[in-house]
Amino acid sequence: MVIARRSLLWMVSLLALIGVYTLAARLVSRPDILPPTEEIATAFGALLGRGVQLGGGGEHAHHQHHPDSQQMETLLQEGVTLQAALAVTTGRVLFGLAVGLPLGALFGLLLGASRRADDYLHPIYILVRSVPPLAFITYIMLWLGHGEAHRLIPVVYAVAVTMVIPTYHGARDVAGKYVEAARALGARGRLLLLKILLPASGPAMVGGLRYSLAIAWMTAVGAEMLMAENGMGNLLVGGGMWSSRLQTRSDPAVIIVGILALAAAGWAMDACAKALGARLTRWARA
Amino acid sequence: MTAGAPPPILEAVDVGYCYPGGTPTQALEGLSLEIADGEFVALLGPVGCGKTTLLRIFAGFLQPAKGRVRCSGASIDGPGWQRGYVLQEEAIFPWMTVRQNVEFGLLAKGLEPDDRGKVSDELLELIGLTAFADAYPRELSTGMSKMVEVVRVLATDPSILLLDEPFGALDAQTRQRMQDALAQLWAQRRKTVLFVTHDAEEALYLADRVLVLSPRPGRVKATFAVEIPRPRSLDTRFSPEFLALKRQIWAAAGLEGRFIR
Amino acid sequence: MSWTRVRRAVIGLVAASVLYVLAAELGRGRLPDRIWLGAHYVENVQLLPTWRSLLEEGTFLIQSNILVESVVVSTRRVVLGLLLGSIAGILLGLLTGAASRLEALADPWVTFFRFTPALALLPLYVVWFGYGESSKVLLIATNVAVITFLGAHHGVRGVPRVYLDAAAALGADRWLQFRKVILPAAFPSILASIRVATGLAWVTIVVAELINAQMPSLGYLLALAGAYPRVPNMLIGLATVGALVLVFDLLALLLHAWGTRWMERAA
Repeated sequence: MVIARRSLLWMVSLLALIGVYTLAARLVSRPDILPPTEEIATAFGALLGRGVQLGGGGEHAHHQHHPDSQQMETLLQEGVTLQAALAVTTGRVLFGLAVGLPLGALFGLLLGASRRADDYLHPIYILVRSVPPLAFITYIMLWLGHGEAHRLIPVVYAVAVTMVIPTYHGARDVAGKYVEAARALGARGRLLLLKILLPASGPAMVGGLRYSLAIAWMTAVGAEMLMAENGMGNLLVGGGMWSSRLQTRSDPAVIIVGILALAAAGWAMDACAKALGARLTRWARA
Repeated sequence: MTAGAPPPILEAVDVGYCYPGGTPTQALEGLSLEIADGEFVALLGPVGCGKTTLLRIFAGFLQPAKGRVRCSGASIDGPGWQRGYVLQEEAIFPWMTVRQNVEFGLLAKGLEPDDRGKVSDELLELIGLTAFADAYPRELSTGMSKMVEVVRVLATDPSILLLDEPFGALDAQTRQRMQDALAQLWAQRRKTVLFVTHDAEEALYLADRVLVLSPRPGRVKATFAVEIPRPRSLDTRFSPEFLALKRQIWAAAGLEGRFIR
Repeated sequence: MSWTRVRRAVIGLVAASVLYVLAAELGRGRLPDRIWLGAHYVENVQLLPTWRSLLEEGTFLIQSNILVESVVVSTRRVVLGLLLGSIAGILLGLLTGAASRLEALADPWVTFFRFTPALALLPLYVVWFGYGESSKVLLIATNVAVITFLGAHHGVRGVPRVYLDAAAALGADRWLQFRKVILPAAFPSILASIRVATGLAWVTIVVAELINAQMPSLGYLLALAGAYPRVPNMLIGLATVGALVLVFDLLALLLHAWGTRWMERAA
């Protein structure tokens, strides 16, 4: 299909999405479940604004629709803004990537390049990766206390574990013949790793990067939902600590705003990763 | 072998190799051969007779299960630049330019960029790819890609070349041109070449000696000395000596007659 | 599967267990057993419980039926979510794969769901569907649907043109082409995505249950173990989850192998 026609249909569908939602919200007329579109916009504004003001125009009007939801109040009280929360979560994601990607890639390269290492270590890897990273979080807390570390470690761990398999396949399936040719030319050690194994596994690793990105976001948000005082996850469950989360009645407008912001951020990062990947593998045939 | 004579540059004695797996495959059994320095030897055999296996054993990627292989009297412990090996699959490094590909072996040896450049200039001119020196492999045709791989292996000046059906993926005309190019290269830099192919004509055209392998498990079934003078050309392919030898080889290799095995 | 590989795998696993036992023994005297949990101290915490205490706790949990019930509840949710999600996702993926107009229409929806971190939808679903089963099952279903959608879509799109041309040249109409060419060719991609979705389903359910912890469920078990804290329970909970994930992954892998039995395999 011609690109123009595609974009047109895309736009139509997007507008239809918004339109259908607005209609549905109006029909259902239960603002505590399907907040009207204007309200979502209002909530968006309120969350962007100087967070500490209570009694300003925006969220006051908002509060009228949701007398039993204290989510917005709690958030504003704690000085939470959308940008700040997003920045915090992004920071955690980036940290997780910065540490987890190299770890996972190295391990994947090791398993892919050496049959012996693969035979010994692969089963252990499978066992380890079977446990969801966020399930570890309370255990880590016992070791490291209630600080930033125990939110970041699951993200690092999730990224590393996710990165192993694509890198492994890149090294094993793709790079195999190149490594052989290089060894037949007398290459070994660092030269082999840096100039042959790494570039040959490159395309597969780029795919792994994009996938790890999604996992990093999910884990970071999840960790924040479980136990953090800041970040998007925290915003989504309405501020407050662990125990009070179950009692706060949630405000769907806030949640929707949060979700949209996360989707936008995720999409943006993925687009960057895709572009970066394309540049790094310019040499690849189509 | 007379006493005091230097050991053959490549030697296999009673080599056996079996591929493990669900259905174990005896690729080679009781295979023995000797190759003298400077010879161009073709290994001819049908698909699946173990030619690639033997080549990989000589290259040092596999260890024979039985028997032994030697290079100039010493055992072969692993791959190395002294036995230049060109794989059957396409293994030109797509992330490096043509020149970087050619210079890679020299890089591994630790040569300075200037010295590397001199060697790669010469080799690129040899195969007429000077204009493509800084291009990426994806701009090359399959044939030229393969020639780059051959020349890449020549850069380190090994005494032995192990070539595994390098022209298998090419069409008939390109293949003939590549064969001529290879023959020319060999005339200028005499090396010992072990050339694997399933094409009898190619074997005859290029080699001094043709070894015919039996189908799995592979062993040397017949040897033919090719005494046709060099340089060989298109005319050679239709000369009576050539055709007579070809008929003999076909018979020996069991290539005549039956459609279905 | 050669014996060398099996032997090495066993050696690797045994070595890991031995390392753990050593660590636990070393830790017994040295690791702190008094932990500050943000608001108070907790006494008598075994950071690296010995095999014996793990065994004791494990037996208790199984005999009191807690573990079994939790496993059943959580597994049921995962299975329901997987079924719901894969059917929806695969159908949608096949449809949009085959008809590009539909694809352009569905794109914004898919992109939205794709880039929303799976767990972010949980609060929304809780608002919409309450704290019960439905919100959790639907959360899993949504994630699974997105992944299988992509798998089915990619599978249909990836069918080499040659097969379709060959089928058309033999007189097959579009419906036959779809059933006998596109569907089987898309199978590997679909099954691979099911495998990925299975892993994700478990990750989702564990966290969802941790956040909305209600008895009985595996998440609740983990949360409870974390609240006291009782480390042996925690580790057993983790190991149980791990084992379940492994089993499901193996099943998905077998399914994939069955569905691709006609394909060539890399060595």
